[in-house]
Amino acid sequence: MLTVDRRTFVKASAMAAAAAAASGSNRVLTVLNNQPEGSPLKWQKAPCRFCGTGCHVMVGTENGRVVAIQGDQKAEVNKGLLCVKGYHVGLALYGKDRLTTPMLRKNGKMVPISWEESIETIASKIMANPKGFALYGSGQWTIGEGFAGNKLMKAGLGSNQIDGNPRLCMSSAVTGFLSTFGVDEPPGVYDDIDKCDVAIMWGNNMAEMHPVLFSRLVDRRTRGEKVTIIDMTTRRTRTSDLADHVLYFKPHGDLAIANGIAHLMVKGDKYDKDFVAKHCNFRALGPKPDEKSPPDMLGVPMTFEEFAAAVEPYTPEKVEELSGVPADKIRMLGELFMRRDIRINSFWCMGMNQHTRGTAINCIVHGIHLMSGHFGKPGDAATSLTGQPSACGTVREVGTLCHLLPGGRLVANAEHRKEAEELWNVPEGRISAKPGYHTVEMFKRFNTPTDQGGDITTMWVQVTNPGQTLPNLNRNFRAKQNLADKFMIVSDVYPTATTELADLILPSAMWVEKNGMYGNSERRTQQWFKMVSPPGEARDDCWQLLAVSRRLMDLGVEGMKGKDGKWIFHTADKSGKEVPIWDWAHYYDVNVDERLFEEYRPFSTKKHKNLAPYQEYVHARGLRWPVVEQPDGSWRETRWRFSEFDDPFVAKGKGFQFYHSVSKDDKALIWFRPHEHPPEMPDNEYPFWLCTGRVLEHWHSGSMTRRIPQLHRAMPKAYVEMNKADATKLGIRNNEVVTVKSRRGEIDLPVWIGGRGDPKPGEVFVPFFDEGKLINLVTLDEYDPYSKQPDYKKCAVTIARKG
Amino acid sequence: MPEDPNLSRRDLLRGRLFGRLVQSASNKLDAVGTAITNASASPVKSTRANAPVAGGGNGESGGRTGIGRRFTLPIHRPPGAVDEVSFLSGCTRCNDCISACPVSAIVHAPARFREAAGTPMIDPHTSPCIMCEDTPCITACKPSVLRVDQPRKMGVAWIQTMACLAHTGSFCTVCSERCPVPNAIEVDAGKPTIRADVCTGCGVCASVCPAPTNAIVVMPMADRPAGDGAQNAK
Repeated sequence: MLTVDRRTFVKASAMAAAAAAASGSNRVLTVLNNQPEGSPLKWQKAPCRFCGTGCHVMVGTENGRVVAIQGDQKAEVNKGLLCVKGYHVGLALYGKDRLTTPMLRKNGKMVPISWEESIETIASKIMANPKGFALYGSGQWTIGEGFAGNKLMKAGLGSNQIDGNPRLCMSSAVTGFLSTFGVDEPPGVYDDIDKCDVAIMWGNNMAEMHPVLFSRLVDRRTRGEKVTIIDMTTRRTRTSDLADHVLYFKPHGDLAIANGIAHLMVKGDKYDKDFVAKHCNFRALGPKPDEKSPPDMLGVPMTFEEFAAAVEPYTPEKVEELSGVPADKIRMLGELFMRRDIRINSFWCMGMNQHTRGTAINCIVHGIHLMSGHFGKPGDAATSLTGQPSACGTVREVGTLCHLLPGGRLVANAEHRKEAEELWNVPEGRISAKPGYHTVEMFKRFNTPTDQGGDITTMWVQVTNPGQTLPNLNRNFRAKQNLADKFMIVSDVYPTATTELADLILPSAMWVEKNGMYGNSERRTQQWFKMVSPPGEARDDCWQLLAVSRRLMDLGVEGMKGKDGKWIFHTADKSGKEVPIWDWAHYYDVNVDERLFEEYRPFSTKKHKNLAPYQEYVHARGLRWPVVEQPDGSWRETRWRFSEFDDPFVAKGKGFQFYHSVSKDDKALIWFRPHEHPPEMPDNEYPFWLCTGRVLEHWHSGSMTRRIPQLHRAMPKAYVEMNKADATKLGIRNNEVVTVKSRRGEIDLPVWIGGRGDPKPGEVFVPFFDEGKLINLVTLDEYDPYSKQPDYKKCAVTIARKG
Repeated sequence: MPEDPNLSRRDLLRGRLFGRLVQSASNKLDAVGTAITNASASPVKSTRANAPVAGGGNGESGGRTGIGRRFTLPIHRPPGAVDEVSFLSGCTRCNDCISACPVSAIVHAPARFREAAGTPMIDPHTSPCIMCEDTPCITACKPSVLRVDQPRKMGVAWIQTMACLAHTGSFCTVCSERCPVPNAIEVDAGKPTIRADVCTGCGVCASVCPAPTNAIVVMPMADRPAGDGAQNAK
């Protein structure tokens, strides 16, 4: 598609050079799709479709087609730079096998059907067993889609059986923020990257996963600034190559390291006493309610003396024994945190989140930042990065999880339910008090015979690919194919490992084929408009949800009506006349995205996550919440939450105020959580640690990026990275195909020795993007007891030569 | 030998770089002839004033004044090819190398190559040579215009840094990861550079480069050594 001849190449180079000269930047790359001279190319802004960084791109369209992509110079996040995926994001729309027709499984074969039949089928499946119906979405849902899905389930069907794949991705970060600050999402922003003196990567390969942010960091060096990068990792990565210090730790050793830093601060009596006295409480887990359940997530208070005693065993030598990081390096980290004259920014992503002790490690890292006072000043921050474009904006903020309501509120709380019912204008008692099933449990029940406790019978999957991304796929996804009474609906844009087992496939519009809003890792809410039409009969995911809701109302489901007797998604035009948005022909008569966003906005004020009116986002490259109206009518975004100098909700003179404090005294919590061993560790039978992860060229399960020729050619298939010493011991050569086997499953993969990443002896790494090589047949589905997030980073495997 | 930043594309086309490279690589230059032919297409050994090289070619430097003298396009031959003059006269267009190639990288030269049309060539940007260790194309070549004792050098790749992701603030090392020739692409502080003396011009890097505008240009080698016994093999 992007065949570039020499003339185009020269032209592109010239254009890039011209743009570079104009902007004073040397990092402008332009995609030219053999654009004829004088063509009416139209440029519009949109956030990138892929990761949670939230870069903005300029999308060039011509004759109803996306033909060019450029980094958006006006975007604060990426300042015109993109990563390799971003430069090609436009091609994600144009894979040859886009789904264009609804298809229903009839007698084992998928046959094309009409949209009317599709909607009717879904409605009848829901009506047959409303409590057995579950909706599974993702952080790729736009804010409007997530809000519609959440309302359909919680306010419409009175059911909380809705969850999303951020459960697999960042729910431990959520529980970490909630445990520490009482409210979700990072207090800091990306500006900290530009201000910090020390950047610590906690098992975070930022160069590969959030390359634009890592560029922003290392670019400072080229400007002559000094920034020390400390890479804590279990394997050498691209990030290690640019780090000043690389600290290799044993899998699960991160808890020991963080506790070791706390130990040194206590021992050295050099924690920030003033900050701790004014703004922090110490906290520990309480007793277990019974043998099976974990202790309550919100814990019990502890004194400083008790905390000191708890971290006492974590001497540098003991930490070395537990983590494998030399004691003097632990002391170096401790010394850094004890210094008041530098700014420290911690970063993490899946390394800390996909962890059976994910909540614990998140809490401890927040704790050492609070204890040391490295908090709430530009450059002093603990920053969790997300993997999906709207994991924050949609799933965390709109609350499309089984226990949440919009605005970060809980279904289990009667007051929260009442307020939500009022805002949604539905009768009191409509929202169920009982949380639904979290992701792994939801799929387990869907994949269990109905008469054996499998009480989820119909599932609707939108904008995600659980057939590839769930852990332990044989148990959690594939068992369904032998169960006749289970019905799976999948809305997607391409055939995937999930559509393979679907009973009904709905073709969806994607990205700039629809209006949308996303929210990135730094609380930035972004908006874009539809620019091109979806192919064939593909339609918006949001419309699909609304059409089903409307059909349910027409069939007499009372829940689809509000207190006023009108449809829960009743939409009127400016003159007050109802617009039939359930009818595709009229869906774009109004801006449904704006209508849903404005309904959602009042929820955002409940936990000080205030959002501006829709129109403000139309003109901005995203705004970071809380966005508060100023006396002059303008809207001001907030960069540093809880800090008086920037957060409008902090009372004057307080300095810092944690206004959603768990302990209700405006203080944050410094947790003690012990180091513990993971549930499965290598043994004689399965001697290797398996870690899974991503690669730069592919986004998650690769269903979009593997259809972009440039990206597919650059990274065509999965592999297993192995240490050279292990390979030599087993007589394995580079590129040789071996079997990676766990207690749950096995796959064959070529070995890559000394590749992009290099694991330590006894460890192997496999990326999960390749649907032809499903590593999740091998992974373990053990999860963190609080966040319910599975640990994709650690399980025991054996490596066997073929034949 | 590191890549010489002073060499322009024109220099590359004229074979200045390769002349020097091959010389340093093999020290066996007994001919500097390139595909310079006259209108009657009879191969003539020649050199150009701007391509000074050591060895047997010195005596002929200074150019010549042939009637209808013109340059043909440099052509990207399969690995182990003898000098172009011998290649053109020796190749029987039997297609054996083409059918031997496991990745279909060897194709017929199109008509724009004039007298070389129909002879085997590689278009590295479309389908690169993968540098097979057992060189089936050379084994298959009966007239021995592809020879095991020739350098496996088909050309050289170089990176257009302005188009390269790694050189323009982003991250990418795909070319070095996939390069089949050890040490041909070195990565320093995340930025790849091609060692022209090691690079064989196979084109794998160009075929995998994911930059929006492909950052790698592969040029065919213009001056190849004649190779021992090339004349006898005819």
